[in-house]
Amino acid sequence: MRIDRRIIFVLIAFSVAIPLIFKIGLPNRVTKEVRMVYDAIDELEREEVVLVSFDHEASSLPEIKPMADAILRHCFSKDLKVISFALLAEGTAIGDQILRDIAAEYEKRYGEDYVYLGFRPQYTAAILGLGEDLHRVFPEDYRGISTSELPLTKKIKNYNDISLVISIADGDLPSYWINYAEARYHQRLAIAVTAVMATTYYPYLSSGQIKGLVGGLKGAAEYEILIGKPGMGGKGMDAQSIAHLVILFLVALGNVSYFLGRRNNSKGTG
Amino acid sequence: MSHIFWAEEIIQKAQVETTCATGRKMEIGTLISALLTLFVFSFLYKDNPFYKFAEHLLVGVSVGYFVVVAINTTVLPKLFLPLFKQGNLLYLIPGFLGFIMFLRFSPRLSWISRISLALIIGAGAGVSIPAFMQAQILTQMKASMLSFTSFEGIVVMAALCTTLMYFFFSKEHKGWLGRTARVGTWFLMIFFGATFGYTVMSRISLLIGRFQFLLGDFLHIID
Repeated sequence: MRIDRRIIFVLIAFSVAIPLIFKIGLPNRVTKEVRMVYDAIDELEREEVVLVSFDHEASSLPEIKPMADAILRHCFSKDLKVISFALLAEGTAIGDQILRDIAAEYEKRYGEDYVYLGFRPQYTAAILGLGEDLHRVFPEDYRGISTSELPLTKKIKNYNDISLVISIADGDLPSYWINYAEARYHQRLAIAVTAVMATTYYPYLSSGQIKGLVGGLKGAAEYEILIGKPGMGGKGMDAQSIAHLVILFLVALGNVSYFLGRRNNSKGTG
Repeated sequence: MSHIFWAEEIIQKAQVETTCATGRKMEIGTLISALLTLFVFSFLYKDNPFYKFAEHLLVGVSVGYFVVVAINTTVLPKLFLPLFKQGNLLYLIPGFLGFIMFLRFSPRLSWISRISLALIIGAGAGVSIPAFMQAQILTQMKASMLSFTSFEGIVVMAALCTTLMYFFFSKEHKGWLGRTARVGTWFLMIFFGATFGYTVMSRISLLIGRFQFLLGDFLHIID
């Protein structure tokens, strides 16, 4: 049996579009690893400093944005101070936009409640440099203001003043955070990665090198449940589940077709 | 850095509104994004000039953006300003090392670039090897030595030993070694299955993101 691949594309398109238009409301369960990130942030005291690193490119925005939105909402709702930057060039403007939007939701003031430091090339040097002196790695913020003058950053020296680092990534940059910030400076680290990267980081979760893991759109949807603020993650989960069912059906159909074809061939030759 | 920030501010202020298919006002950026998304989707039917245009535009814009960010965040503040504005001549050394990297384009002089490469590789290895040993080997080994009294500990140890056996190539995989290595392949298959499942989820998420944009921001069918 042969199915034109374009029929499969149309099936997948409908399986994504229809649940987005007509909401089904399939249940979503919060997993342990997402709750661990939530707990790591939730147990911080008011005004403690969280470092959020946008370690991604523009192409992974549909997965990154819901996770970043949910985590930043949690941070700002807890009145934590957020310092943020990007270690990949394409994430620079995206990080700035997301941070500004979520900060505006909670009426946070730039320079006092949050600061965006922009892009820094050579991520190994940047991560290691933050262990020594933040002002040397980032003499100015994204707007060109000296970090020694901004009320939030002027009192931050290095990782000793940062309670938690959260890497929002679509590649292997969290490995660098683990190698250099966690292993060398014992910096508490949580990560939010695209689903395709999630399995890579489960060993670090078991070993305690990361304090939690948010994986892809599903992770974002779970985090939205925890903070009680529906967002893009939850809205996409119906479509995600239905699309997976269609793919499972197609995989099963392909296997049945293959085994039937093989049996017919063996009968023909036998 | 500030140059990029102000450029983005100007672009945001200059956003032009147009009227979409449903009669609502929309930003010109949304219209361009929607058209480019449809151009890329058109490849699913077959290769065509619209897809080619979108593909080339993506590559060009990505490279252009990266070059501008690199110049503004690295070349200007880390080399040109200290050298020419502050007169710090020490910056001539990294500047020279950076310049000779470009000699790779000349077959006759490309050997000179090895000086910079040697420095990068040497420093990189010096920094990364101890950190890698600590984070990726010692801590991971410690974590794999869980208590044998728990089911999880037994599974982890069995998976670790049998998978390592599969990658032991100094002896032919026959007899007890062959059987153990075969169990290792089952654990590997489970890992590959989980990774494939997550990959499918990731790709579908990207499609959902585009559909949310097309049905929401562009057509206003959904919130």
